[in-house]
Amino acid sequence: MRLRTLLATMVLGVLCAGTALGAVGAAKPQKPAKKQAAAQNPATASNGSNALSTRVVAYQIQATLLPREHKINASEVLTYKNLTGQPLETFPFHLYLNAFQPQSTFMTEVRLYGTRGNGPGSSWDSKHYGSETVTKLEVDGMGDLTKQIHFIHPDDNNTQDRTVFQVALPNPVAPGASVTFRMDFVDVMPEVVERTGYMRDFYMVGQWFPKVGVWWQGQWNCHQFHATTEFFADFGTFDVKLTVPSDEVVGAAGDLVSSVNNPDSTKTLTYHAADIHDFSWTASPHFTDVEDSWTGSAGTVKIHLLMSPGDMATAPRYLQALKGTLAYYDKNVGPYPYDRITVVDPPHGALNAGGMEYPTLITAGTNWWMPKGLRVPEVVVVHEFGHQYWYGMVATNEFEDAWMDEGINSYEEVKIMRALYGKGTSMLDFPFAQMGDGEEQRTSYLSMPNFDPLTRFAWQFVNDGSYGAVTYGKTATVLLTLEKIIGPDKMREAMHQYFLRYRFTHPTGQDFLKTVEDVSGKDLDGYFQQAVYGTQVLDYQITDVHSDRVNWWEPPIPGQTMYRTYVTVHRNGDFVLPVDLKVTFDNGNSVVEHWDGKDRWIRYTYDRKARVASAEIDPQHNVWLDRNFFNNSWRVRSDDRATHKLLNIWTFVNEWISQVAAWIA
Amino acid sequence: MLHLTVDSTQQAPEPKPRAFFAGASIVWTRQRILWAIFVVNLLVAFAGASGVAHNVGDDSGAALNHSMESVQRLVHGFDVSALAELSSLPQQPLRGMGTMSIWPSLFFLVFMIFMTGGILVSYYDDLRLDTAGFFEACGRHFWRYVRLAIYFLVVMIPLAFLGSAFGKIYGNINDTAVSPYPAVIFGAAATVFMLFLLLSVRLWFDMAQVISMAKNERRMYRMLARAAALVWNNFGSLFWLYLRISVIGWVLFGAGLYSWMMVLRPESIGLAFLLGQAMVIVWLGTRLWQRAAETEWYKQYRVSLYQPVPMPPPPVQPAVVETLTPS
Repeated sequence: MRLRTLLATMVLGVLCAGTALGAVGAAKPQKPAKKQAAAQNPATASNGSNALSTRVVAYQIQATLLPREHKINASEVLTYKNLTGQPLETFPFHLYLNAFQPQSTFMTEVRLYGTRGNGPGSSWDSKHYGSETVTKLEVDGMGDLTKQIHFIHPDDNNTQDRTVFQVALPNPVAPGASVTFRMDFVDVMPEVVERTGYMRDFYMVGQWFPKVGVWWQGQWNCHQFHATTEFFADFGTFDVKLTVPSDEVVGAAGDLVSSVNNPDSTKTLTYHAADIHDFSWTASPHFTDVEDSWTGSAGTVKIHLLMSPGDMATAPRYLQALKGTLAYYDKNVGPYPYDRITVVDPPHGALNAGGMEYPTLITAGTNWWMPKGLRVPEVVVVHEFGHQYWYGMVATNEFEDAWMDEGINSYEEVKIMRALYGKGTSMLDFPFAQMGDGEEQRTSYLSMPNFDPLTRFAWQFVNDGSYGAVTYGKTATVLLTLEKIIGPDKMREAMHQYFLRYRFTHPTGQDFLKTVEDVSGKDLDGYFQQAVYGTQVLDYQITDVHSDRVNWWEPPIPGQTMYRTYVTVHRNGDFVLPVDLKVTFDNGNSVVEHWDGKDRWIRYTYDRKARVASAEIDPQHNVWLDRNFFNNSWRVRSDDRATHKLLNIWTFVNEWISQVAAWIA
Repeated sequence: MLHLTVDSTQQAPEPKPRAFFAGASIVWTRQRILWAIFVVNLLVAFAGASGVAHNVGDDSGAALNHSMESVQRLVHGFDVSALAELSSLPQQPLRGMGTMSIWPSLFFLVFMIFMTGGILVSYYDDLRLDTAGFFEACGRHFWRYVRLAIYFLVVMIPLAFLGSAFGKIYGNINDTAVSPYPAVIFGAAATVFMLFLLLSVRLWFDMAQVISMAKNERRMYRMLARAAALVWNNFGSLFWLYLRISVIGWVLFGAGLYSWMMVLRPESIGLAFLLGQAMVIVWLGTRLWQRAAETEWYKQYRVSLYQPVPMPPPPVQPAVVETLTPS
């Protein structure tokens, strides 16, 4: 039912878009350059039968990079199709780059609790300031509305925040009709910060143009830019002309349509992209474009690795990870429908631009010394490519449901990293130290397990640490545990169905959870209430394991004496989940119990001619949410090898530090 | 300003190549000193580490000794996430790991300042000091070496500023260069230069300690001035002496670390302990070797100063030939 509704909506949207944009394109043939853009207007594409999404927006942007000033002068033509079913009088727009101003909400939050790579109280140098100024706004048929621009603050009372502006139209846009906005704007790029900006002559240009909000759940959804939030936008088409110095190597979210050299030592590159909801680009004269391709069920995907100087040794690692991820998604989740993917390797000093996703363009991150056993380049590529599915196509609201893109993606990342690099060694793989990606996600969750639920709006987490621990780590851990509850096959099918049902839409958390329940055939509400909507912590502990002679007053006879064994299990946390308990006796026999976990504790008693050797909760290690694996088992016979190992290492470290200190003597 | 032309600090009349081997020989023949320092180092470090080990192993802490999980994750390999998990537990079994390193280090620093007098006297006089004599020498030199250590820290201040300046230059190069390598090359060169300076300063202060001991000199400025002049005038041979021993120490330490991390099986906990302690002994031994070699160098130097100047042969007297005339 839901799938049919989706298809009907898509067809309706495509038809409306075609009619509306076709008319606009014909009515406004002003300049030759714009004519060309109009010829490639998404209206044409959306009339075709190959449209993948409901194309609500069509952006035509002409931008000129001024590298000496780190500015972008640009004009934008946005055609918006009103598919809301009601007349629209006001339109909100994001101006994300204005977050990089001292008085913005973003900066206020950074000062409060930090953000990626910047701790609380960060005092950013002015070179990291950026801005985005709309100098002119016209609406076709309604005239110049520049003076109608006023900034709004839907999330807080910060009147200094200028990341969202709203414009009221003199005439409402009727349902099914389109409206065309024409804007001139100027971007001042920051030195690279929060995924965007410049470093020397490298540019990572993301969230750089005025972007209209999303009409979602009966109202506009256009949040301010926060320290922990990402983005949300409607699908559509992008026709972008970029004028850059002629020596620049450019990567962008679209297909390159043309490249024209200009007499002033610049070149103009024209890109077209459809069925995506954002357009980013990058430029550097020092990129080496490593080209490759991969063929999947939806055809051949052209791969561009834009490698920075000093990082070429990592290119094969990026490629292996990328192809492995493409193959995994193609097999287990769904086809990758685009014909391209660009991986940007930021140059040294610009790692703040790394680890970011945009439709068909992702940024990675490495270093000239990166050892093979440290799989940072791999995990970044696996994660960021995963966002092509969870954010790119299944376009959830990253402001409000960050767990649905970052968390679900982190779960898939764990699965892929395990498949490609081994379960316990997928993050660190050295003879002296190992760590799996799943373990890394779980320990991230354990760092702040009980402040916020998954469903908290991203900017309302107690701090940046809790946002990261819960949104990424806890979601992955919740889904790894869920996989054990419903079985790996059901889980894989659930992810597949979720993708098929909701690609090119904006699903909610309930849509995802409902899909899992549908596919698994299980009522998982009890689990979801605690794991997704709650902050309960799960921790089971063995508190007592011992055997006593039943006839304790009689002397023991080897092999004949009857022992009474007691095993007590305690539920430390508030999270209730059924668990298994395996009790092993010193004659090698064992018994497995199943406890519903509802009471606070339970004691099992056994009368046998053997004493207990060990007891272990969750012997199959299914419950990844358990915050302490170490107290899940108890062996009667002490084994202090682990303690001795730690003692040995720490003694050695202390000795060495002492000797370094004694160098003063 | 140091005067570098003090009479008794002139360039050594002859190179002293035997100091390198003689130093090793001294450390070997006085190895009780090495073992004593090693034992103290081990005990103090163990005391600092055992608290954490108790916390993780004990029932009241993480109870690793009874957990089946600990063997899987920490014995058959080394799962780094296990440490993260331990540190996140409410009972915080890893608490105090940092502070438990600071106090042993400070204690060991004071201990080594105390021991230096005894070590140098023992090495210089080529005596097998009895316990009382050794500690008497330790006590006699303790406060002057404390003062020297304070001067040493004062000298470190400009070096710290220099290191900071190098750091800023490194940052500037890193920010402006397209390739990471210019900054890397600069960083490597700056590190080598800083190590050179640090080793030179250590050489200077070691020499000051030797002079203080040998001449029973208590005045810091004079001691440092003499040492500076002596080191300045003989820098090549002394630095080469120290550098060779340092390189040997680093190579052996690196080989040990490589073996521990890359060759030993994760379950070889006993072997790892022995290897780690062997590395500590090597590290200590090479430091004492430097001290012994410099002491030996200074001793030979002083001997060379007091060698009798070869006198010209006395003028040949005409032979008196007495002729016996037969009567």
